[in-house]
Amino acid sequence: MPKLERSAYYDLTRDMNWRFKYVRAEEVFPQEMVHNPEVPYEEWWKWDEPYKVTYREYVYNQSEKDHGVYSVKAAIARSKLFDALDNGWKAALTAHYGAIALPEYLASIGESRMARFGLGASWRNMATYGCLDETRHGQIQVYFPYGLLDKHPQFDWAHKAFHTNEWGAIAARSMFDRMFTANDALSTAIQLTFTFETGFTNLQFLGMAADAMDVGDVEFGALISSIQTDESRHAQIGEPTLRILLKNGKKKEAQRLVETMWWRAWHIFALLTGLSMDYYTPLEHRSMSFKEFMEEWVLRQFLDMFRDLGMDPPWYWDIMRDEMNWYQHGLHLGVWFWRPTVWWNPDGGVSEAEREWLEEKYPGWNDTFGRYWDVITENIRNGQTEKTLPQTLPLVCNMCHIPIVTLSDPKQKHNAPYVSEYNGRRYLFCSEPCKWIFDVEPEKYAGYLSIVDRFLAGHIQPPTLENVLAYMGLTPDIWGRDADNYAWAFQKKVDQAAVGN
Amino acid sequence: MATVPLTAAHKEDFVVLLVPVEDTDTIAQVAQKIAAHTVGIRVKPRNKPLQVMHNGRMVPDHLTVAEAGIRPMDYVEVSYVE
Repeated sequence: MPKLERSAYYDLTRDMNWRFKYVRAEEVFPQEMVHNPEVPYEEWWKWDEPYKVTYREYVYNQSEKDHGVYSVKAAIARSKLFDALDNGWKAALTAHYGAIALPEYLASIGESRMARFGLGASWRNMATYGCLDETRHGQIQVYFPYGLLDKHPQFDWAHKAFHTNEWGAIAARSMFDRMFTANDALSTAIQLTFTFETGFTNLQFLGMAADAMDVGDVEFGALISSIQTDESRHAQIGEPTLRILLKNGKKKEAQRLVETMWWRAWHIFALLTGLSMDYYTPLEHRSMSFKEFMEEWVLRQFLDMFRDLGMDPPWYWDIMRDEMNWYQHGLHLGVWFWRPTVWWNPDGGVSEAEREWLEEKYPGWNDTFGRYWDVITENIRNGQTEKTLPQTLPLVCNMCHIPIVTLSDPKQKHNAPYVSEYNGRRYLFCSEPCKWIFDVEPEKYAGYLSIVDRFLAGHIQPPTLENVLAYMGLTPDIWGRDADNYAWAFQKKVDQAAVGN
Repeated sequence: MATVPLTAAHKEDFVVLLVPVEDTDTIAQVAQKIAAHTVGIRVKPRNKPLQVMHNGRMVPDHLTVAEAGIRPMDYVEVSYVE
């Protein structure tokens, strides 16, 4: 029996669109499950994915990938490779697993909602693969850190983080819940697969896999590479969805969906990737700064795509470009200073040689953030580490749930939080765009209580910092500590050069 | 006497903090409570007096929090008198 060319049968396997007779299309695809802004139902039948795959190919590729990655895992488990890794890299690893493993599982919920309520059969077909992908990503990114539990109990937070009220988990959860876990199918296609995955993670995984191999983390490198190839397949769901919206005159809706999510993705991305690129990755393995990565890999690609599609860059593009100069530095200093509130051991990353790198990549760093580290370094050298630990809470943004850090350049000072009043309650925000996202749909976010709101509402009793840590699910064996026990505060550049050879 | 939680920052610091004060505290005492979390912690100590800004105006030291009309979760900013 001659084998048909894939192109000869491909449409047969995925184009299951039909005109309903016994029910109306709105009953099959209810608005609360897929917010269709009045695009004619059959317009969605033209949905077409650039990168095609059949189920046979899918199963074959995925089993090959899993076979490869799990054998690397088994081989590495018997070696001492992990123990030789840099402590800063281990911090990036621990943070990644806690922040990403379970959301991948949750993303399979978003994908399965598209697999059922996607308005074109080819969209539903591609989302079915996306659901299988995300299930795989959740499983593999819980299994790998499970294999590292004997190294440090913090790896248990790969599974635990999303079940706690730790502030970083709240920040990630509140975004991912909005992006896919509790989002309608159309908005998920635009906000998860287009804005977040095409915009950020598809490229991030490429960069991370390269960094992992560079620092000698073969296991994580193999894992992330195998995930990245899945990501590029299901990330493509966003573009055809967007094209149909635009073709049918729905640019305003599409623009709002992208803009209300891009900014939140930028803040979470800066928290997770900014710190690891600018402070945790060992100096000798840093290929570029976070800002350079954002400009070269994320911004340029996204702007090109935006223009191709006929979309406008978000109104806050310049605010974001400014934040790329300092926001990750504020977050790093905040995470390091409030380190007991995170499930990983932050690397100070400010030895003399590292500060020189920071000054070169971010001219003026020493005059802004360097000044804080001068005071902190002096306290450490004087044996007063208690002065480098928090005595109160930072204010947390009521939108992105990340502490409100501010530019430290005296000339452009804006310390005061941005404020909105809604139904008699006052909401505080870290930035104009976070405030704007709230003001666009306040009823969507009004019920959220930040960790500080809960503290002030008496949810944490007695209201002490120790109890805040317990409320966050953090136990003493998990509290973050300085990754190198403050070695960087005593490290002269000469020692650093010797260490580097 | 009632505790008044404030959102507070030292002008030269990088983060906004939650700082509880008493409504009977003078503004000078408020400045000290905010400085305790910032000066010599992240902000370099300087031999200059501190001042407190609320709603865009500098508040006289001798007033109490209540007299100055500072409400819970209002933003106050401490800075050195240049």
